[in-house]
Formats: sequence, structure tokens, C-alpha cells
Amino acid sequence: MRWLLTALVLAGFISWWLTEPGSLTAEALPEHQPDAVNGEQVFNTGGCASCHGADLSGGLEMSSDFGTFVVPNITPDVNAGIGGWSMLDFVNAMMLGVSPQGSHYYPAFPYTSYTRMRVQDVMDLKAFLDLADPVENTPGSHELGFPWGIRRGIGLWKIRYLKQGPVVDVDPGKTLVARGRYLVEGAGHCAECHTPRDHFGGLDRALWLAGAPNPDGEGRVPNITPAEDGLGSWSEPDIAYYLESGFLPDFDTVGGSMVEVQENMARLPAEDRKAIAAYLKSIPVRP
Amino acid sequence: MFRFVMILVALCFVFPATQLVAGDSPQEQRHELMEDSKNAAKPVGGMLKGEKPFDAELAMASFRTWAEIAGQFGDLFPEGTETGYDTEAKQEIWTDRAGFEAEVKKFAKVANAAVAANPQSLDELKMAAGPVFKSCKSCHEGYRVEKE
Repeated sequence: MRWLLTALVLAGFISWWLTEPGSLTAEALPEHQPDAVNGEQVFNTGGCASCHGADLSGGLEMSSDFGTFVVPNITPDVNAGIGGWSMLDFVNAMMLGVSPQGSHYYPAFPYTSYTRMRVQDVMDLKAFLDLADPVENTPGSHELGFPWGIRRGIGLWKIRYLKQGPVVDVDPGKTLVARGRYLVEGAGHCAECHTPRDHFGGLDRALWLAGAPNPDGEGRVPNITPAEDGLGSWSEPDIAYYLESGFLPDFDTVGGSMVEVQENMARLPAEDRKAIAAYLKSIPVRP
Repeated sequence: MFRFVMILVALCFVFPATQLVAGDSPQEQRHELMEDSKNAAKPVGGMLKGEKPFDAELAMASFRTWAEIAGQFGDLFPEGTETGYDTEAKQEIWTDRAGFEAEVKKFAKVANAAVAANPQSLDELKMAAGPVFKSCKSCHEGYRVEKE
């Protein structure tokens, strides 16, 4: 009996240690003068307003298999928003999914993608967000079923799913494809909708960008690998033009939640849309 | 009889096919008009994408098609055609008629403006076609059901 108790206590300590939210310290931040102009581009690439709202004050409810997530306020309001955050707080939230109080964020906030961003781009994004008008709105709390309500457990989830390295190997000589990978796998967080999830809500990398059930209801989020039922028949200019104009190669128009994404992509430099197209045409075909 | 058929055939060339489908239901007619509209976008889009050389006449043909379609389109959503023929019409067309009619009006306005602009270069084409493409998109967002 005693061995069982010992084992339980030991297991408890190990899991407590494993689930400890790890954050960066100030020394980890590079010397960098944040640039709000680049920050705005990062903001558009990420489409922050699509979830956080046009005024960034949050409140959108996202239902999932695990419960309902309520999107927080990211305006510079000191009480309701993130106005009191330091640069380090912001980088820890974006890249490690850890709050200024040191607890885990749920991955409904797609830090699993943002973790691949350059720290400098994250810092620039904060400089841009700092320019927004503060809004006092305080959205409600998430409503999650057991055991998902235990935040500490996300630490285990992160061991399995929070990976900083890129997903698809790219020949370093191909700078356009590499730029596209950076945008798609990082700030653009395309995989969060276009890749199916497993039972624990982690992305199934074996089906990277192969399409997934539509979280908003009927139908599917399309396959955007170069598969036959994906982007196989699209040329790179087709993809870039779609992101710029919202028109598919057959001149039907973009629909659903992709409308806002496309309109954000239209605000990027043309070279970035080309890069995204080049990356999407270069990734492995998935059914 | 032969002469009658020949006259019919001749008429088919004189009038666009869309005007001779009077026997079809409004659902089918509006579907056809949208298909025509989409096909008219292909040459213009090809030029904008840089896949095809700029061709002023071809572009104008598309603009005229759009202007013509915009003139007929709004009348094809009478009460009682909310469903059927696999229609992608959103219920908002009937519950928010004023909003829908404003979109159709905008479509007619920008299509006619494009015809009047008569673009002679790729840059002018961009200026003229842009508002038409925008109007397609904005009307679809509000009044078309998203399938897939």
C-alpha cells in the first residue's frame, strides 16, 4: 500500500513539474526598436481583428468540442485589455502561451503557430497594438467541461503540441518559399483551420493543410495542399490573385470566414501573397 | 417552316441567349445570369492576373454583359422563389429587400461606369473593373448562401 501512495505522490510531483508554465526572462528579448509600421503588417497577416473584433475589445464566443472560449480584449485599456503589459509579457503570451500571471492560455489562442514568429515581429506587433484606442469592455470567462477547465493540464498538452520549428522542410535557397512558410506556418496561422485536429485538439501534422471540418458548422475548410481536390489545378498567380481580390480561378467569389482572411491578405505587400502561393504549391500533397 | 426556323436561328444571334429563356423559372434564369457574369469575368481577370494580354474590346464585351445582366437581375427574385433549383439565394433577399436592391443598383452603376470608362490600358482596366469585382463580392457576402 505504501508503495502505491509513494508512486501517486511522485506522479503528482512529476506532473506538477511537467505542467509548470515556462516563460522567458527579460534577457531573452533581443535589442530591437519596435516598428509599428511593420507591426501593422504582422497584424494583417495574423488577422487579429477577425477574432478579437474590429475594435479589438473581444467578446466573440468560439464553441468547440471542449467548451466555449470567449475572446479577450487586446486594446491598451489597463484594466479590461492588455494596456498594463510589458513587452516581455506580450512575447510570452504570443510565443509560449503564458499569461503575465504565469498561467497557461488555452490554444484556442493560436500561439502554437505564433511560436514560429521572429521575436522582432512580435515586438513590432505590440508597438502597433499600443496605438489602438482603449476599450473598457471586459468579456466573460471561458466555459469548459471537465477536465479541460484545469489550466495546469495545458502544460502536458504543450509538451506534445507546442513546437517552435517549421513544419515543412524548405530548401534554404528558396527564399520566396521560405518567406511563404514563415507567413503561413507563423503569424498567418492558416493550419489552425485548414489542418484537422486529433482527439486532444492538437493539429495532425500528417495531414498538414489537407482541410478539416468547418468549426462554424456545415461543410469543410478546404484542402490547400497541391492535391487534386485542393490547389492542384491552381497556379501560383491564381493563389496570389485570390488572396488579393477574393476571386477563385473560375471567378466565383470567396465565402464564409475566409472573406475576412482574404481581405486582410489583400492588405499585405504583393510579394508576401506571392510567397504564400509559392509555399502552398511546394508543400507535400495530402488527400 | 424553314424560313421560320431560319428567323429563329437569326434571332438567336441577334439577342443574347439569356433573353430567350423566358420559359425557365426565375431560379434558373438568375442562375444562368450569374454563370454568364462569371464567364464575363474570366477574360478580364486573366488580363488583371497578367495571364492574358490586355485587350480593350474583349474587356468592353465583358463590361457590356455585366451592365445588361445588372439591368435584369433584380427582377428575378419574386416572392415564392426562395427555394428550388438548388438556389444559393439567401433568405435575406426577401427579408431585407431594400439592402438587396441597393446591391443590385450598385452593380448596375459600377458596370455602366465601366462601360463608360472604356479602358485603353491595363491600369485603366484595373480602375474600371475593380468596383465591379467589389460589388460581386459584397453582394455575395450578404445575399448568397455559402456552399462548401
